[in-house]
Amino acid sequence: MQCRDIEEVLEQDGLALLPESARAHLARCPHCQDYIADLETIVSAAHELPAEVEPPAGLWMALRAQLEREGIIKEPTADAKEKPASWWDGFGSFFRSRAMATVTVGALIAAAAIVELRQPRELPLPPEVVATVKQLNEQEIDVRNMHLAGTSPVDDALEQNLKEIDDFIADCERHLQGAPQDDLAREYLYSAYQQKAELLAAMLDRGRSVN
Amino acid sequence: MCTRSMGRSVTLVLGTAVALGSSGFAEAASQRIEKHFPVNGRPVVVIQNVANGRIEVKSSKNPEVVVVANETSSKVDFAMEQAGDRVDVTASILDASAQPLDLETSLQLTVPEETELQLKTENGLIYVEQVMGDMTLESIAGDIHLKEVSGYIIVKTTGGSLVCTQCAGKLDFNSVGGGAQILQPALTNVNLRTTTGNILFDGDFIRTGLYSMKSGKGLVEVRFSGNDSFDLKAQTATGTVDNQAAAFLKPDSHGTVGRLGSRFKGLFGTFGAGLAKVELSTYSGTIRILRRDVAYPSH
Repeated sequence: MQCRDIEEVLEQDGLALLPESARAHLARCPHCQDYIADLETIVSAAHELPAEVEPPAGLWMALRAQLEREGIIKEPTADAKEKPASWWDGFGSFFRSRAMATVTVGALIAAAAIVELRQPRELPLPPEVVATVKQLNEQEIDVRNMHLAGTSPVDDALEQNLKEIDDFIADCERHLQGAPQDDLAREYLYSAYQQKAELLAAMLDRGRSVN
Repeated sequence: MCTRSMGRSVTLVLGTAVALGSSGFAEAASQRIEKHFPVNGRPVVVIQNVANGRIEVKSSKNPEVVVVANETSSKVDFAMEQAGDRVDVTASILDASAQPLDLETSLQLTVPEETELQLKTENGLIYVEQVMGDMTLESIAGDIHLKEVSGYIIVKTTGGSLVCTQCAGKLDFNSVGGGAQILQPALTNVNLRTTTGNILFDGDFIRTGLYSMKSGKGLVEVRFSGNDSFDLKAQTATGTVDNQAAAFLKPDSHGTVGRLGSRFKGLFGTFGAGLAKVELSTYSGTIRILRRDVAYPSH
């Protein structure tokens, strides 16, 4: 069994019913382990949602409009017009279909889970890296203060390269917040931290020798 | 009487002005320093240049290191020392308030063909031609051009770029903003890394060689030849892989993409027997793969 087979099994049978062959693959494949961990996070987030979600009124309006456009809900007949009924009654009858109700609630939970996952989160970095980044940021403030008077082409080049590194780091960090399992982006981020440390050291040395 | 004394005064003033002017001219005029250091065997040359200017190193058959320094002002001092086969040249700024123009100095070195180099500068070109030996070349904003050099070559820049023509041996390049162009190489081990610069490798992959080229945001372009034999991995996080040699690459013969799963963005391929190993990557730039002996539309 390979990684893509695992994805198919999960789509068909869910997390709880993994066959033996899938479990064997999972035991030795870190990528699938990460994938399963992500899914479990989504499921547990969905479980933590309130049992009864009160949807915003606008959602029902939009759903009704869409259902009407697709012809699933028809305009009320003449008889029905005689006995005025609210749009909720029509929607309620639609909800009497158990299958449709299940699908709709499932979609709502999934949407809520996605919203939850898309909230801005702390970048998942090991504590030692976080400490190093903090030090780098402090050092950068010192360097910038030191270089305020620098006007040579070399100072300009260093400032420009520091800005480029900062922009690149910010880009990688943003990407990793959305895709924390992207090993390549993480490798580039760590490499950029290292380059920034070397650059700041060079700037500090130069500042000391000039000032 | 009055006219005579006035004439003397004018002469005095003019004389003083000429004297002052000539001394000012002497200060601005360029100075040339030339020193010869006889060596035995394989010397080590170390240059620490904090000034602003070009460093040029060429080789000769003579067993000596010749250093020629040209400076435009007396605001830079060169200290040159020899200890056995080691020659040290250090430039230092005498006047901290000197303007960049005053700090322009150039160094020309002639060394034996087999020489080890350690050159460090801030600005200005480093040019090395026909030298065999390990070399470490560091620059902040200056470019580095190498021609027909061989050995273990380490190049580190902040913003400067590298052009390496007909280089052999092993090459390590690391830069924040500088790019690297490797032309007609005979390198067995290549490790190129830049954050925002572009990389171009135009030449043969030596069998059993290892080649790693990484650019954070730039273009990584490889032009291989029809005689090459290599396994290729090209990977990007958010960029693109432009494989214009797809017709010549056997796709993923090891089944690696399947093992990596849907998160992998890139390609694996094999050309020939897959003897060399080539790894290309970019975070958000473009990887372009071309075969040199095929005509492509211009980019």
